[in-house]
Amino acid sequence: MIAVIPVRDGVFPAGGVETVAECGGRAVLIGSGTAAAARHLGGGTAITIEAGTFAPGGWADALAKPLAGEAHVVLPGSPDGRDLAPRLAAVLERELFAGAISITPTHIQLARQGGLAITDVIPTGSFVATLQPGVRGVDPTTQSMDPDTINSIDYPPGGSTDVADVVLIESLAPDAATMDHAESPRILGGGAGLSTSEAFVQLAELSERLDASMGATRVITDRGWVGHERQIGTTGVVVDPSLYIAFGISGAVQHTSGLGQPDHIISVNTDPHCPMMQLADLAIVSDANAVITALLDRFGDRG
Amino acid sequence: MIAVCLKWVDQRPAGQRPEGIGTSQPEPDSRFAGVSAADRAALEWALRCRDAWPDETVVALTVGPPAADAVLRDALAVGASRAVRIEAAFSAPSRFVARCLAAEIRTRLDAQNLVICGDYSLDRGTGSVPAFVAAELGYAQALGLVGLTIRSPDNHGADEQGASMAIEALRRVDGGRRDRLAIHSPAVISVEGSTALLRRAPLRGLLDVRSIEVATPAIAPEHPTTGTTRPYRPRPRMLPAPIGPTALDRVKVLTASGTAAAVHGDPITLDPQAAADRILDALAQWSYLQP
Amino acid sequence: MADETIVDRTAADQTKADRAPDFDVIVVGAGPAGSCAALVLARAGKRVVLLERGPFPGSKNMYGGVVYPRILDQLIPQWWLTAPIQRWVTRRQTMLVTDTKALTIDFRSQAWGEPPYNGATAFRPDFDNWLADHAVAAGAQLICSTTVTGLLHDSAGRVCGVRTDRPDGELTAPVVIACDGVNSFLAKQEGLYGEVDASNYTLGVKETLALPKEVIDERFGVRGTDGVDIEIVGCTSGVAGGGFIYTNLDTISVGLVLKLPKLAAQSKRPEELIASMKQHPAIAPLVEGGELKEYSAHLIPEAGLSMLPKLVADGLMITGDAAALCLAAGIWLEGVNFAMASGMYAGQAAIEGLQRGDVTAEGLGGYRRRLEETFVLKDHRKLRRAPALMLSDRMQSMYPDLATAVVERMFRVDNPAPKPGLRTIVKQERKRIGIRRRDLARDGLDGFRSFG
Ligand SMILES: Cc1cc2nc3c(=O)[nH]c(=O)nc-3n(C[C@H](O)[C@H](O)[C@H](O)COP(=O)(O)OP(=O)(O)OC[C@H]3O[C@@H](n4cnc5c(N)ncnc54)[C@H](O)[C@@H]3O)c2cc1C
Ligand SMILES: Cc1cc2nc3c(=O)[nH]c(=O)nc-3n(C[C@H](O)[C@H](O)[C@H](O)COP(=O)(O)OP(=O)(O)OC[C@H]3O[C@@H](n4cnc5c(N)ncnc54)[C@H](O)[C@@H]3O)c2cc1C
Ligand SMILES: Nc1ncnc2c1ncn2[C@@H]1O[C@H](COP(=O)(O)O)[C@@H](O)[C@H]1O
Repeated sequence: MIAVIPVRDGVFPAGGVETVAECGGRAVLIGSGTAAAARHLGGGTAITIEAGTFAPGGWADALAKPLAGEAHVVLPGSPDGRDLAPRLAAVLERELFAGAISITPTHIQLARQGGLAITDVIPTGSFVATLQPGVRGVDPTTQSMDPDTINSIDYPPGGSTDVADVVLIESLAPDAATMDHAESPRILGGGAGLSTSEAFVQLAELSERLDASMGATRVITDRGWVGHERQIGTTGVVVDPSLYIAFGISGAVQHTSGLGQPDHIISVNTDPHCPMMQLADLAIVSDANAVITALLDRFGDRG
Repeated sequence: MIAVCLKWVDQRPAGQRPEGIGTSQPEPDSRFAGVSAADRAALEWALRCRDAWPDETVVALTVGPPAADAVLRDALAVGASRAVRIEAAFSAPSRFVARCLAAEIRTRLDAQNLVICGDYSLDRGTGSVPAFVAAELGYAQALGLVGLTIRSPDNHGADEQGASMAIEALRRVDGGRRDRLAIHSPAVISVEGSTALLRRAPLRGLLDVRSIEVATPAIAPEHPTTGTTRPYRPRPRMLPAPIGPTALDRVKVLTASGTAAAVHGDPITLDPQAAADRILDALAQWSYLQP
Repeated sequence: MADETIVDRTAADQTKADRAPDFDVIVVGAGPAGSCAALVLARAGKRVVLLERGPFPGSKNMYGGVVYPRILDQLIPQWWLTAPIQRWVTRRQTMLVTDTKALTIDFRSQAWGEPPYNGATAFRPDFDNWLADHAVAAGAQLICSTTVTGLLHDSAGRVCGVRTDRPDGELTAPVVIACDGVNSFLAKQEGLYGEVDASNYTLGVKETLALPKEVIDERFGVRGTDGVDIEIVGCTSGVAGGGFIYTNLDTISVGLVLKLPKLAAQSKRPEELIASMKQHPAIAPLVEGGELKEYSAHLIPEAGLSMLPKLVADGLMITGDAAALCLAAGIWLEGVNFAMASGMYAGQAAIEGLQRGDVTAEGLGGYRRRLEETFVLKDHRKLRRAPALMLSDRMQSMYPDLATAVVERMFRVDNPAPKPGLRTIVKQERKRIGIRRRDLARDGLDGFRSFG
């Protein structure tokens, strides 16, 4: 297996290190600052392709040749990886297994149904797959080692590419609102178990009372009840609080893999069996809407 | 032309949908079926683009069984000019779906196409269909957009791309960063559900029943590798080796880490008032609150 | 008539009315009443549109309950072959409870488990949708996710259409049938209700609890698709009302019907009252271990005939719960059958009116006549005293106390004291509880008149 890692300015994407580890240290790094990024590999062998800003069409084209002999290609399920993988599968004419939580040449576990189920697949041939960030973990002691060998390949192959890509005007740093959130030590999260947008007004108020910041699941940001910068998860913000309180959140892997490793998790849910309840230190079966109201009542006298 | 891709899916939350075995998912109960928030946003953007460029037409496409016509009827009611359903079983594999969509877009539409998709579908949820469509058609792609600005017709006329449609968009990348992109047709874009709320269909639009075209693609069916499905169990995570003078300390470090592998207290059933008290107790006990 | 209706009659309304109407009949609300009205009309070849605010018929309506669909014999022959039924009620119990005691009257009839059947438990999202499908198959046009926000009037003040919350959302028709459920906005807007008083309504709250089918079969003593309907008096912690437990296939519905003013005064929350009912020693073993699937609350018009509104205006009829035709009298809780029948009769009256070319209140008079001639108003008349009786303090707490105490002493063996006679026990217990003989006799007579 070989990892393909889209690199931006020498920085690995979410799940990049895990993907390299899943492939036993073999990787192709493509993007900008690839040589510097190769340090993250923790040994192993690397091919670097200095290819500028993200261009999935052109990159897939450039990768077709070096990957032709590789039967099993794995990308991180980060935004860039997720968007590049199908293009690679198309040029390599391979099957795509997207959103896996574990990958070996003979057994792939795919997260399905919004991350509440796993499908076990036994691949019969060569494939391209993406690995869900945050589900594997890595042994931190093996990081920050130079790779044993580095080969670099020129981009575009043959000097030009005729594959269309969109034009990047600029890359924006995370906005401040998002950063507060990402660094907050206490987060109250709300999910689809909260049945009205007013419940999120209450949740925001409760967060303030508890010196916490408010987050939400994708179902909620999709509804527009909460701004998308507050979405916690693989396609949202990755946070690392010490306290997380989940109200009406099922705990889909795409959500929990953006949660970091809180010291304490409280979950309020009507379904005692959902993954969020299994993760929680304190799991309470109750109506989350009413619990939020009740908690706010407790703070009522303070103003 | 503007092609908008809509997937007919069961809209109930994941836990309440009938679970599929392998890849053969049961067809949704039509009462609870429709399109995802992301696909609704895609349709709204298609209509906004048409509002900005009145010469363009909006064609709604779906790949699915006859019951999927419902989403096309809704699209027509809200303002799509035409609707085409490409006959296929429910939950046909992503690559096949993309080939069907691409074939339809290639044969029926012109060279300056803008293809708008939702960023991922509710049930399959890999977001790969739009990228496959782009690969099939050789179009540029911009996926997972969280904000779009349609360039006004003036700007657009001044564009060196001539008759192409132009959009400026924000694409979400990891770590809260975003890319600001200039997109010109032909292109495939996919949008997140939060980017736009679909306008309400006028009542007359709903009453006026228009016909839906049905296409049968000349594409060989695909038989991707199937698997078996079971409830989600987190994979054991690789963690730093625990540090501590005694074995007990090390075990404590490991089990207190709150990771997926560590299972804590059993769920307790409480009424809301008791639940609030219990939460505040726990917060006090863990020193987040003054007792 | 309310002021708003006058304001509504704008010039725009009039030009709309001058155009050819969009439909023959507009039916508002695809509950049991609306679907039956639309079905009758579509079958008669009328152009009918059925407007529903939910995403599909029954989506917003309460889950699980007992329906008595016999009226459907007239609309859908052999309805039982296709109706989405959970279980057929073959066992009916009435339970009188005090804090620690319970007296149950248990009736079983296997005949209720065979065609033509009696009552059945059904989920409203299934049942209402099934009924609406029949109307659509007959040619009615169903438009969902659309809320009617007002009535249109012509220059003579007659109802001539509706306004909805959609853009370009007005529709015209000579007849509008309001089937929009309890607290009907349309009937109120048209001024068909007199002074509305909270004591005319009760609040229904319900939990749906999941249990494996075998467990339900065993706990309730039934098999296959046979089911149980239990009505409970005295389980409402002092708030006037009653309780119920129904068996579905693999869930049970547990709920309370609570008198509103009392509920407000008690400052007890409905879910607390359900929780305490579920802890009663006679009830806990039935519901234990059930996983909460749904909690819902809904108003019920409960005052019977005394709050019956005007049923017809020019170009307008009101049916079902919108017309307060729900029969809620203690151990009776029937609304769906009254809704279906009144919808059907309104549909028939609209056909008559349209054929005669007279859709004024007078031209639609066939509606009220049909209700008077059938069970719809006959049952209401018969049971007109029942709501007050069932919700009286005596019925709510004294009689359960009396009945259970009397039976307890009948069965108690107090040796060496000899067994007292029944008459003595009743007299002693009545005195202890403080029930006057006069009241007992009067309630007995009321009860006999109502239920006898
Ligand atoms: C490619 C991809 C990327 C994704 N990225 C993200 C991401 O970044 N972040 C993210 O969050 N999601 C993401 N998702 C979506 C994710 O898969 C889940 O669908 C989502 O996290 C579920 O959100 P939820 O828990 O709010 O909703 P649900 O899964 O619908 O869960 C609702 C929960 O509320 C409970 N509940 C219901 N009523 C009550 C009540 N009254 N009181 C208490 N509890 C109640 C239910 O039991 C249930 O557990 C992504 C999905 C895909 C496919
Ligand atoms: C807790 C509880 C338990 C009950 N149990 C039973 C029982 O066991 N058996 C029984 O027979 N009855 C029972 N009933 C009563 C029964 O539910 C009603 O009598 C019956 O549903 C009335 O039918 P309907 O068609 O008049 O109104 P509804 O069923 O209320 O339907 C009204 C429809 O109109 C729609 N609507 C409302 N306003 C608008 C608008 N402005 N625009 C468009 N659409 C609109 C609504 O969405 C709804 O679909 C119970 C009621 C409650 C609350
Ligand atoms: N069967 C289908 N018919 C039409 N469009 C589809 C279909 N499946 C997926 N799409 C489009 O592709 C997007 C992403 O879907 P997916 O790749 O399945 O996550 C959806 O939001 C739709 O816009």
